[in-house]
Amino acid sequence: MSRVSNRLVSRRIVILMFAIILGILGLTARLVYIQLLHNQFFQTKAMNQRLQAIPIDARRGTIFDRNGIPLAMSVSANAIYAVPAQVREKAKSARLVADILDLDYDFVLNRVSKRSSSEWIKKRVSTKEAQAILSLELPGIGVVENPERFYPYGSIAPQILGLVGIDNQGLEGIELYYDEYLRGVKGEVIFERDAIGREIEGGVRGYFQGENGADLVLTIDYYIQQIAQREVERVVRETGSRLAVIAITEPKTGNILATASYPSYDILNFMDFPVQNRRNIAVTDTYEPGSTFKAITAAIALDTGVATPNASFFDPGYINVSGWTIRCWHRGGHGSQSFVETLENSCNPYYAKLGMDLGGQRFYEYLKRYNFGSKMGIDFPGEAPGRVRTPSARIPLVTWANIGFGQGMTLTPMQLLAGFGAIANDGVYSVPHYVKEIHTVDGIIGPAIPKARQIMEAEIAHMTRDALRSVIENGSGRRADVAGYEVAGKTGTAQLVENGRYSHSKTVTSFAGFAPATDPVMAGIVVMWEPQGAFFGGIIASPVFGRLVEQIMPYLGVAPQANTVKDDRNQVSIPDVAGLSSMDAEKTLKDRGFKVDRIGEGSRIIGQVPAAGVHVNPGTLVLIYTDLDYLHSFSDIPNPFGV
Amino acid sequence: MFTKKGNPDLLVFTTVIVLLSIGIIMVFSASSVMGISDFRDPFHYVKRQSLWAVVGLFAMFFLARIDYRIYKALALPGILLSYVLLVLVLIIGQDIGGAKRWIDLGFFNLQPSEISKLAMVNFVAVYIANKREKLRLFWIGLCPILVILGLKFGLIMLEPDFGTAVAMSFTILVVLFAGGAHLGQLAGLGLAAIPGLMFLVFQKPYRMRRIMAFRDPWADPADTGWNIIQSLLAIGSGGLFGLGLGNSRQKFSYLPEHHTDFIFAILSEELGFIGAFMVAFLFFIFAWRGLRIALNAPDLYGTLLAIGITSMIGFQAMLNMGVVTGSLPVTGIPLPFISYGGASLMMSLASVGILLNISRQSKT
Repeated sequence: MSRVSNRLVSRRIVILMFAIILGILGLTARLVYIQLLHNQFFQTKAMNQRLQAIPIDARRGTIFDRNGIPLAMSVSANAIYAVPAQVREKAKSARLVADILDLDYDFVLNRVSKRSSSEWIKKRVSTKEAQAILSLELPGIGVVENPERFYPYGSIAPQILGLVGIDNQGLEGIELYYDEYLRGVKGEVIFERDAIGREIEGGVRGYFQGENGADLVLTIDYYIQQIAQREVERVVRETGSRLAVIAITEPKTGNILATASYPSYDILNFMDFPVQNRRNIAVTDTYEPGSTFKAITAAIALDTGVATPNASFFDPGYINVSGWTIRCWHRGGHGSQSFVETLENSCNPYYAKLGMDLGGQRFYEYLKRYNFGSKMGIDFPGEAPGRVRTPSARIPLVTWANIGFGQGMTLTPMQLLAGFGAIANDGVYSVPHYVKEIHTVDGIIGPAIPKARQIMEAEIAHMTRDALRSVIENGSGRRADVAGYEVAGKTGTAQLVENGRYSHSKTVTSFAGFAPATDPVMAGIVVMWEPQGAFFGGIIASPVFGRLVEQIMPYLGVAPQANTVKDDRNQVSIPDVAGLSSMDAEKTLKDRGFKVDRIGEGSRIIGQVPAAGVHVNPGTLVLIYTDLDYLHSFSDIPNPFGV
Repeated sequence: MFTKKGNPDLLVFTTVIVLLSIGIIMVFSASSVMGISDFRDPFHYVKRQSLWAVVGLFAMFFLARIDYRIYKALALPGILLSYVLLVLVLIIGQDIGGAKRWIDLGFFNLQPSEISKLAMVNFVAVYIANKREKLRLFWIGLCPILVILGLKFGLIMLEPDFGTAVAMSFTILVVLFAGGAHLGQLAGLGLAAIPGLMFLVFQKPYRMRRIMAFRDPWADPADTGWNIIQSLLAIGSGGLFGLGLGNSRQKFSYLPEHHTDFIFAILSEELGFIGAFMVAFLFFIFAWRGLRIALNAPDLYGTLLAIGITSMIGFQAMLNMGVVTGSLPVTGIPLPFISYGGASLMMSLASVGILLNISRQSKT
């Protein structure tokens, strides 16, 4: 080897040595970048691609009535799912699964062949079907328990409760409004999978229980709700009305005890009924109140001093308002009347005058106090605000005259009932609400509704209340009167607007009131759309209210007052059936001529209404409550792996 | 024939033994899951790898005792044999995934391109040692080698095996460089090779996409970027200390070729930066000592043969680690001593044997 070339070769080898130093430095830098600087980034990405989660629905909260009777609850139901990547021999597996679950083979094959992480094959399967699937031990086909909505007492208060979707989400009604409480937090089964989707042996496996939904205690009373449902159906059948609504509240609290409208629907077979039957009309629909609204006008007029209890008014049968003539329903007029008599007679010209005297601005401000024309903030989805014109120079005086007797404005039945509630409750206005308590994990909370507030002097409320009592005693609402109970209230009939003008044949007939007049424990409203035949509120709506009072008052523990009891010669005493078996209790009561309604599926009687020893008319309905043993039959969500 | 001179370079020997041991362990760790699912035997792959390691070590010990000068005589026959084998593999080779790279000998899968690499290195070393300064003359110096190399490159590309073809060409270029080739000629050659390489790359559009995927693997994460992404996820997951031996997650069918070409990713995932850096550093030591052996070789032939073997193994390791870490275009070549594969392991260990013999005859 010559020196020259030797030196050249040596030099070049040294250059190569430098090159490999650069190489190792570059590689080290790269490793530092990936492994030390971005370790977290890559680790997270790698973990995310491995983790597979199968969600487990949380158990949806139970909805109780105010007595603790469960109206809607969730019970465990089995559901079959597939992890397509894990399913082997797809055709064979699909055939077996389809046979057991009575499904279409192609449907199942399609599901197990999808390129997704997991697929539902069938929800709501029987325990037997689930067992059969499990016994096949097919890879990739599993059973998971998925809670299902269940109505232990059947379809009670369906428009209030509302539907729940297949994925356990509230779709309507209370189920929707309180969905965030009811639905709980979904649980998850998590495992590590390889790139093909098979579970990695010994990989991370997590089971997150989730959190069950909060339970709701409604203000609804199961029994009163049943009465309301029964009566609203009856009134539609008897009057041929297109639609009717009954709502009952507790004036002192704003608690809604019942809301029923008919036609209704069956919550379990909701698809067989028209969609509009699912509306909670009392909250979501508006109408022109007509004469029932005079009670509100009266209260406002008294509160502002526009009217006094001692005022008198001569009704010639009409009144002129800036060129318009408003006629009284009584041709020829009511002649000279006291303030109370104008309400008894439901005299349109007087209330038109009050509307005018109040004037747009003042009237409007008072209407706002009652939430007319705006949403009350009731805890129910889809509340309608109703419509009241905003006063301005362009709104003629006749508008306010019309509103004075309940025309030219719209409201929901619940809005008007809230106004009557304020009159019944010493001038304190409470926003009606459906939920009494929310039982969350962190404790019990109340519904999110606006606070009660004084909207008129208690004295004014009392005056109005007494006038409304007088309406029943002496005026248009006589038929609402019930033996033993002092009812106060107001009837109303408004013509429906058809094609822009008032119809002569179609009306909305209503009654709003409360009882007992001096210490009200219930307020209620009955509204009927398009009754056939006689359409004055007093004639068909009042007796409905009377029947409600008659049935609800004893239940609420208000005994009939002795001085108003018209005939107590035939009264009988109710026997004590507590502690008896359900069958014996029913027999005992029926033998003595009582009607019996049993609540619950239990075998023993734990309570009764009215109480034992109370004197009532023969044939009175007696409610008996059983112990609710089925409550223990549902379980919490079990671990689908059975670990 | 047997030399009884000095001692072999112990550092090279130790480095290779350590790398080989790491390799056996990593092949077991990476392949056990696949062994169970494909052969119901977690040891399926590691048993085969160990067998070839033993055979390879015998070859290494044997060759370390044989005077390297006798290979001078093998220069021309070696080239001819490798041509025959390279043609043969195209005819009777096993078609695996659209590529014909192996000849099934029943007990062993012969990889002609591996033999061809070593034969080429030997030939060039002899050639330069004979020509000396004439190497710097283009037509009678560099040109004949380029023709021989070009022909081999073409045959290997017909299999096709882009990675091996590139690795071989680079190795030969290093030997030419070290052997004193005219830099201007080498540079010109590089420029001339560009159109050819471009043609090969553009001839198959998938090749271009795959090769360039390392620049932005996330652009096509499900297809061309998949290997790189999964490799990066594996390496990145390792952190400083790794997930622990046997705890790789990416080996669960996420990372393809995780026991062969991408085994370094699994190693980095399980042993972390410490393990990955250690392996890289062992290869550095190997290359460094290899070049020192070349410097101290008794003759120019020994120098160039040592450089050829060192760069053959060292460059292949560098290229593999570069690809796996997403730093270089994707070319499928194994990591010497570590990746699963009998043919490659055999050839690497045999080459080390030759290198060790050169070291035994060093001048100092």
